[in-house]
Amino acid sequence: MRLNGVLIEDTFAEAFTMRASRVVITAKTERWAREAAVKLTGFATSVIGCKCEAGIERAVGTEATPDGRPGISVLLLTMDKESLPTRLIERLGQTVLTCPTTACFDGLPTAPDRLGVGKALRVFGDGFQASKVIAGRRYWRIPVMEGEFLIDETFGMQKAVGGGNFLILARDADAALAAAEAAVLAIEPLPGVILPFPGGIVRSGSKVGSRRYKKMIATTNDAFSPTLRPLTASALPEGIGAVLEIVLDGLDGGAIQEAMRAGIRAACGTGDAGRVISISAGNYGGKLGPHHFPLRSIMASQ
Amino acid sequence: MSDRIVLTLRQPLTSALDASRIAADRLADRTSAEIAALPLRYDGQPMPLGELFRVEGERSQHLVLEGDLERAAGIATAQARGTLVIEGSVGPDLAAGLMGGSVLVQGSVGPNAAGALPGASRGVTGGEVVIRGGAGAGAAARMRRGIVVVMGAAAAGAGRGMIAGTLLIGGRAAPPVGRFLKRGSIIVLGGVESDPLFPYACTYRPPHVRVLLRHLRATYDLSLTSEHIGGSYRRYCGDMAELGRGEILAWSAA
Repeated sequence: MRLNGVLIEDTFAEAFTMRASRVVITAKTERWAREAAVKLTGFATSVIGCKCEAGIERAVGTEATPDGRPGISVLLLTMDKESLPTRLIERLGQTVLTCPTTACFDGLPTAPDRLGVGKALRVFGDGFQASKVIAGRRYWRIPVMEGEFLIDETFGMQKAVGGGNFLILARDADAALAAAEAAVLAIEPLPGVILPFPGGIVRSGSKVGSRRYKKMIATTNDAFSPTLRPLTASALPEGIGAVLEIVLDGLDGGAIQEAMRAGIRAACGTGDAGRVISISAGNYGGKLGPHHFPLRSIMASQ
Repeated sequence: MSDRIVLTLRQPLTSALDASRIAADRLADRTSAEIAALPLRYDGQPMPLGELFRVEGERSQHLVLEGDLERAAGIATAQARGTLVIEGSVGPDLAAGLMGGSVLVQGSVGPNAAGALPGASRGVTGGEVVIRGGAGAGAAARMRRGIVVVMGAAAAGAGRGMIAGTLLIGGRAAPPVGRFLKRGSIIVLGGVESDPLFPYACTYRPPHVRVLLRHLRATYDLSLTSEHIGGSYRRYCGDMAELGRGEILAWSAA
């Protein structure tokens, strides 16, 4: 299968079940909501080293936020349901509570699994906190030097999918980056999915474990590293000078699939087709992750 | 089952009616015949509801009352669920001891609206009461939880002994307001006199007021402006003769 001359390899992305919450941060201006969201999602690229994965999902208009102010929606994911409340409490407490003018709302209010995030953070109020129940939701008002910080008492948690991916194989790094940037632009507006890595792009894809260092749980994906092609069992055909990966986390498989389709289509349509050679995906032979995203069937369907 | 039950007053009331049995949840599971047979007390005498009201609909959690009910007392007493809409004004003790659901009054209400039952330590413990007009003395007295809205003026004693919950007064609040207030919030849009038992704290934009007013505007189509929603409020803490954890938030300006 080819798309604008770019080979879509007959392979699949392998992804894992995670747990996710959606946090909607509002503020006086979108700028301040985004400031908090950027801090909240900082150092949250991969559960391998960051304990969670997080990213900005999208901007939320004033008509759709509980307080009518501009908002930013964030998804935060962990591998297990026990650690998600911990990550939320420590991150919201340090990044959103501290940020001027912000308030913090649950973005999954109908999810039956509830995490007592605001309930835990309320004690920062040192006994001066107060709660309000509005339209069936309990909020905590935490007094701060600027005024008050408002946060939902509980946040919803649901199963999610982490580790969706595709690889852009190009003749050189510039072509790979241009294609990856186009893919990110195409994915960013889509709901229910985040790209947790810097700018949405990964240059250091990893394999499980190490050939040399026993303690390493992940090391460089030498099969896709062009500089190692003569030295290892390379997966790269001749002429590939650079590979970039797009990693996607989503609230469900459908969101990942939709985003992969949009991203791959954009990556193949940069007008640089001669320098983008193929699209591949990372997997573990189908043995580790329950969610499989076959590239060709995704691109064949609408 | 109907989409709603409508009780229309047959003739204007000339004496006091004890309407404490009329509540959305109490009629929700009844047929129209059962509703009509419900005993009320009118002018001190027992009388079936059907002699006073024309009954339309049955088995619905949505109840509508039509007619001049200013002589009817205790409508929606201790209601726990369902929605009640009153297309006019009502008398005293509306929604006393309300536990849940909602009560919307298109007109004004008498004294002790959303208050407590005689001898009860708590008034409203849940649900929402919205009054488009004004309220008599003692609105939302001893409220423990819930939301009470008086879009018009509130007579003296509003929020007396409130334990928690929120009272919103759209018009002017006559003194005293919030006497013996423990933890609740009284939000006044139309002006309130200062009270030495409620010392001034600061002027700010309380974030929960935004959420509350947007909810009320969307749910009940209340005339709450963006200046109210996004405006500044003077915060007074009190009642200092009590816990002092309550507040009066007086709308200041946009």
